[in-house]
Amino acid sequence: MKNFAYINDQPYAFEPGETILSFVRRHKGEDSIPTLCDAPNLEAFGSCRVCSVDVALEQDGKTKTLASCHTPIAHGQYIYPDSRSIRKLRKNIIELVVTDHPLDCLTCEVNGNCELQTVAGQVGITGIRYPEGENHLDRKKDNSHPYMVSDLSKCINCYRCVRACDEVQGEFVLSMAGRGFDSKIIKGMDQTFFDSDCVSCGACAQACPTAAITDVFQSKSNRVTEKTRTTCTYCGVGCNLEVASAGDEVLSITAPYDAEVNSGHTCVKGRYAFQFYDHPDRLRSPLIRKDGEFVKATWEEAYDLIESKIREYKSGYGPDFLAGISSSRCTNEENYLMQKFMRAVVGTNNIDGCARVCHSPTALGMQRTFGTGAATNSIEDLYHTECILLIGANPTEAHPVTGARIKQVVMKGVPLIVLDPRKTELAKYAQHHLALRPGTNVAVLNMMMHYIWKDGLIDQSFIEHRTEGFDQFVEEISKLDVDEMSRISGVSKEEARAAAITYGKAARAMSFHGLGVTEHYQGTFTVMQIANLAMLTGNIGKKGVGVNPLRGQNNVQGSADMGVQPHQGAGYLDITQPEVQQRYSTFYGVDVPKHVGFKIPEMFDAAMNGKLKMIWIIGEDVVQTDPNTQKVIKALESTDFVVVQELFMTETAKYADVVLPGASFLEKSGTFTNGERRVQRVNQVLKPIGNAKADGQIIIDMMQRLGYDQPDYTPDGMLEEISQIVPFFAGIKWDNLGKQGKQWPVREDGQDTEILHADSFKRGKGYFEFHPFEESAEVEENQKEFPYILTTNRNLVHYNCGAMTRRTGNVQIISEDVLFIHPEDAARHFIEEGDLVCLESARGKVDIKAHVSDEVRPGVVSTTFHFPEIMVNNITSDVHDSEAMCPEYKVVSVRMRKSKGKYAIKGEKRVGEAVSEVRG
Amino acid sequence: MRVARWMPRSCAPLKPNQGGMSKNLSELSGRKGLGNNLFERIAEVSAVPEGDKGLRIEKLAEEFLVGTANVHGSLTFYDFLRPENQGKKVYVCNGSACLCARTQEKVHEKLGHHFSADEIGHMTCLGRCHENSAFHYDGKNYSGHAIEHIEDLVHGDRKNGLDEYRTGHIGNPVLTRARIQGPGAYQEMLEKLVDTAPDDVLNEIIASKLRGRGGAGFPIGLKLEGCRKEAGETKFIICNADEGDPGAYSDRYLLEKQIWSVLFGMQIAGYVTGASHGVLYIRGEYPEAIQVCQEAIQALHNHGLVGGDILGTGFGFEFRIIKAQGAYICGEETALINSIEGQRPEVRIRPPYPTQQGLFNKPTVVNNVETLAALPFILEHGGAAYADLGTDKSSGTKLMSLDSAFRRPGLYEVEMGTPLRDVIDLLGGGFRYSVKAMQIGGPLGGIVPVSEIDNLNVDFESFSNAGFLLGHASVVCIPGDFPMIRYLEHLFDFAAYESCGKCFPCRLGTKRGHEMMKKAVNGEYKIDRTLLSDLLDTLEQGSLCAHGGGIPLPVRNALAYFEAELQPYFQ
Repeated sequence: MKNFAYINDQPYAFEPGETILSFVRRHKGEDSIPTLCDAPNLEAFGSCRVCSVDVALEQDGKTKTLASCHTPIAHGQYIYPDSRSIRKLRKNIIELVVTDHPLDCLTCEVNGNCELQTVAGQVGITGIRYPEGENHLDRKKDNSHPYMVSDLSKCINCYRCVRACDEVQGEFVLSMAGRGFDSKIIKGMDQTFFDSDCVSCGACAQACPTAAITDVFQSKSNRVTEKTRTTCTYCGVGCNLEVASAGDEVLSITAPYDAEVNSGHTCVKGRYAFQFYDHPDRLRSPLIRKDGEFVKATWEEAYDLIESKIREYKSGYGPDFLAGISSSRCTNEENYLMQKFMRAVVGTNNIDGCARVCHSPTALGMQRTFGTGAATNSIEDLYHTECILLIGANPTEAHPVTGARIKQVVMKGVPLIVLDPRKTELAKYAQHHLALRPGTNVAVLNMMMHYIWKDGLIDQSFIEHRTEGFDQFVEEISKLDVDEMSRISGVSKEEARAAAITYGKAARAMSFHGLGVTEHYQGTFTVMQIANLAMLTGNIGKKGVGVNPLRGQNNVQGSADMGVQPHQGAGYLDITQPEVQQRYSTFYGVDVPKHVGFKIPEMFDAAMNGKLKMIWIIGEDVVQTDPNTQKVIKALESTDFVVVQELFMTETAKYADVVLPGASFLEKSGTFTNGERRVQRVNQVLKPIGNAKADGQIIIDMMQRLGYDQPDYTPDGMLEEISQIVPFFAGIKWDNLGKQGKQWPVREDGQDTEILHADSFKRGKGYFEFHPFEESAEVEENQKEFPYILTTNRNLVHYNCGAMTRRTGNVQIISEDVLFIHPEDAARHFIEEGDLVCLESARGKVDIKAHVSDEVRPGVVSTTFHFPEIMVNNITSDVHDSEAMCPEYKVVSVRMRKSKGKYAIKGEKRVGEAVSEVRG
Repeated sequence: MRVARWMPRSCAPLKPNQGGMSKNLSELSGRKGLGNNLFERIAEVSAVPEGDKGLRIEKLAEEFLVGTANVHGSLTFYDFLRPENQGKKVYVCNGSACLCARTQEKVHEKLGHHFSADEIGHMTCLGRCHENSAFHYDGKNYSGHAIEHIEDLVHGDRKNGLDEYRTGHIGNPVLTRARIQGPGAYQEMLEKLVDTAPDDVLNEIIASKLRGRGGAGFPIGLKLEGCRKEAGETKFIICNADEGDPGAYSDRYLLEKQIWSVLFGMQIAGYVTGASHGVLYIRGEYPEAIQVCQEAIQALHNHGLVGGDILGTGFGFEFRIIKAQGAYICGEETALINSIEGQRPEVRIRPPYPTQQGLFNKPTVVNNVETLAALPFILEHGGAAYADLGTDKSSGTKLMSLDSAFRRPGLYEVEMGTPLRDVIDLLGGGFRYSVKAMQIGGPLGGIVPVSEIDNLNVDFESFSNAGFLLGHASVVCIPGDFPMIRYLEHLFDFAAYESCGKCFPCRLGTKRGHEMMKKAVNGEYKIDRTLLSDLLDTLEQGSLCAHGGGIPLPVRNALAYFEAELQPYFQ
């Protein structure tokens, strides 16, 4: 017998490599050995020594005291986890700890949920025998931050916060200063939380075993609450959250350690930015515009009006004069319902969603190359890869948990290649940062593929067995004019070749891409080049490889899966194919429309041409976030009847005729699908606020009014229906999703899929298709007059149009959009930090505050569009991806000058004012 | 169910180990290699005026991609780097030997005529235990009569800095009569080294049974073998020249007088393990040693005996000196590694052992100066010749540092197994005044009452069997009229002051122990015997490293042998 050891003289099997702590706890329960410095998501550290056990080599033999958390168990050892001497040792250690810890447990916020308190009880502390000595009980509380709080008089120096900041978030904001008895936790250079570089992820607060670091929501308090496990509403990472609530109030949010997606971690948005849910600005009742003013209405009145308009336009003009925009913030079930409503009830394929403006080129490009438009692998594969290629994505800001994981892997030595015009946080850690000119992804990827071919790094066997079109492709790639591509992109041949070799030589290379790939004139082609690069090197169909889009919104994957696209129905079936039409018609019980509908930009064009009478927009602020704001406004003004279903009075809602109050993710149940195809449960925490309704029920109410027999909204009922029409949802049932969800395709027996294309592609063979670089019309036409390129991006604390995050404490962290300008460019225009800059494109002008930074390269400026005060999209262009019509947010030809303030709309506003403005 | 871990153990390319330190910081520091060393860069920042320091810290952190907290955390750890010590102009030794010799009050008083109280700091042991009255001024150490010439000194006359002490030996000398005394002999030996297969050299070292002289007595052969077996192109040999034990100056002797043996010993270790980087981590308290070492390395460079391809053999080895910044705990090998990386020198957990994952997460051998300096003898004469010296389990020789209580203070080399009485009488010439006990082996070594002298031989087993510790074999004499309770207070003070603060028992226990002793000395408190016993058990059983784990030994010795003297301080 091997791998056996004894606990109190009884034999038990152990797993090779496990520690004594894990061995004993596995067999004897979590409480069998107390610990203080150990935490589920941190490496063993060995500071508290409370986990010490006696170890002997023979029964009742000579024992040695060892810390169980970092000592591996060995065959034949005798472990005595609670011998008399060990119990005494633990008690004595804790007695020492409480000589320097306040004894005000009754008034401490973690009373009843304090690990020190628990362990003190377990070891039987009844008093302190030491004469009174020095202590640190007079340390001051740090209340500087909107979320993070520290009271280091309660610190026991277990380093869990320091390690969480290092090992989980990778931010190094926390450390210890001084030494010995006087050592203490510091933030930055012994600053406050607010003044430090803290990113407010809250990992330290969650890790802290006492109340030394907590948050304003008292997330570790033991208040009587209900806990609901759900899925985050922000980005496509899909963090699992545990929401603590009491009655109609959300108290706090934490990240469960057992979540596969986020393993006890989440970001400032997921953990702390939830106060929007009952913000005074929340829409609590339907509104109908009467004489230019919104007036409160009952649901019946609103429904009556909408119903009559739909009937009127449908019979008067035909169903194609109506369009719907569904929301990636809503559940799969709601998205399914909205597209079903448009197709089966209204009778048009004019249904689209925000994927249009983000990852539509990904879906299309990957479908063309592989047959499936979704991430090929899982985030977990990061731990199996040997090279990461990150293109046009800034995950430490936009997908913080995935970004933190990438950073962890890269810091430990996995080479990272970053293609990004901006020096993003991860670019600083990269082995190769190819800081290309915005809009030249195709040029650089073609260069890389050229060198991979030239240096003989292609996977001949994979190409032979799994792909087609290679010969033609290689003919093009081999004769690529690399000098020209280098000149165009600003990336030297040497840099491109070095990066190509790093990628090509790795046994497993994994790519991630974001909107810096898709939101371009050549977005779809860039996606196809990334896919080609993966096929060229055999990086498909196994662990640690693949093409992995970082999906932007929480459910943007799901909305497309559910058929929120004008050309594909639920499950990506081509609605122009007769057998597909037959299938949908049979399933929906009505004849479905047969021709492709409008994409969002086409809807706006149609509106301005009098071809659209009504549009129903759910949870998308097209005015603030779609390009060329003035055009969007004109389109909405040209549409007879605009219905906006929202949480807040957004810029778009202001143009509505009827506003319907929808429900936030806390107020309904359903599923979200994250960027790795993982369908996860969203569980209702609260009733909808005020008179708001779950969005799915609103759609169903309208379906029923229009005579379609759709049962009321229940997540299990909806999933049952969806599983019958969406092939890759066949095995997804509400009850079998469990805590971790399932990654589609899910077979009928419930088996899910971590890695796509393991043996074959959806389309049979992977398809190589070469596309040469082409300059965007925006640059071609405007670069003479507008010589700078503006590229837009995201920041960590705000989310998209900011409707939610601007109504939380996050505005105290970042209160405005700023323009990043390289120091050389700033000097050329005599612009200094904080100056107002007038930024002008062929569409218009905006005034925006300057931030001089070398994060952008000369000739390029960048900003975010989280704040309606600036409305950067007033100047973004009409150019779209040539294939998928995704707008080119990333390349805007602009010129700039120091502003006299004429266009300073609200540039000088301070935080408080900005909030009241929004509230007003 | 799939494993839900933040960082699965399988994370490539690291081995599935836990570190107890920041792997990330090790890697990030290692990205810059030894050439641009974060620790040295942090030390540079310490001298920057307070107003500019923040910006410099930010820039440094940005360059190394670490946090400002990491830089600040390291800066505030070391005596020489702490912001509050930046105004210090002169440092008075407060080591055990100077304390027992009672010379330092006078040194303080004399310095007080030339420096303000704020300008006078402390350093713990300048290694001038043979003549005491030690202080550090303007980058140099002074002792003995130098304080009498303080007037000249502050006016620029530095001639009184050099110290002299006796050397001698009992049995066959290995270290004090070393063969290599310059580049010439060095080259001859190097040629012999590269003519021998690494495995054969290793076998000789294993056969020598040489055990580490830093305190733990671990066989160096096993360590080298472990490191040799590790895969990886980059490996390090670290010479632990952070001899912080008050009372010991044997490493100082070797660095200043036998540097060639030390350097060549490192090169042998590199040859055997496949390491091509040798780091000498030398105490900042030993400026002269650093200088001698620098000059020797330069001479080796001039003779082409270090570099990428030495003598055309394909064997490459480079030396790098890192100046320590005043933290006793850096003598602990994992704290030392953290220190070189610029991390806070806190003790790491084991496993992984440094031979598996040491400096910058690479396989690393850390050995004491005295251990490495013995390797050239083994190469020259063979492992058996070395094993013939000393006793069966403690082979070879041991350096002993005798303090000024002896008639002939000095640095002596004795074969292991030599009776302690011979060392005291034949080499030391007996005591100059009444001595009741000796602390042998540093502050964590045992307190040996003079009544036990005849029962002890100088070897690991004799000492440990009798309940003492050979350690560094430094001898600090406690005068007959020196109150033992004061000495215990001093030990706890030292232990608390030098605790890294990582593990709970040491951080809190040494402090509470010091408070108990101090209050007892001041008559404010009678010690609770059970409580003290519990405290000592807790420190010994629970501490992460030998610092907290070691302090109970001398305390227990004192309680056992000086019970009557200590009785009045107990309840």
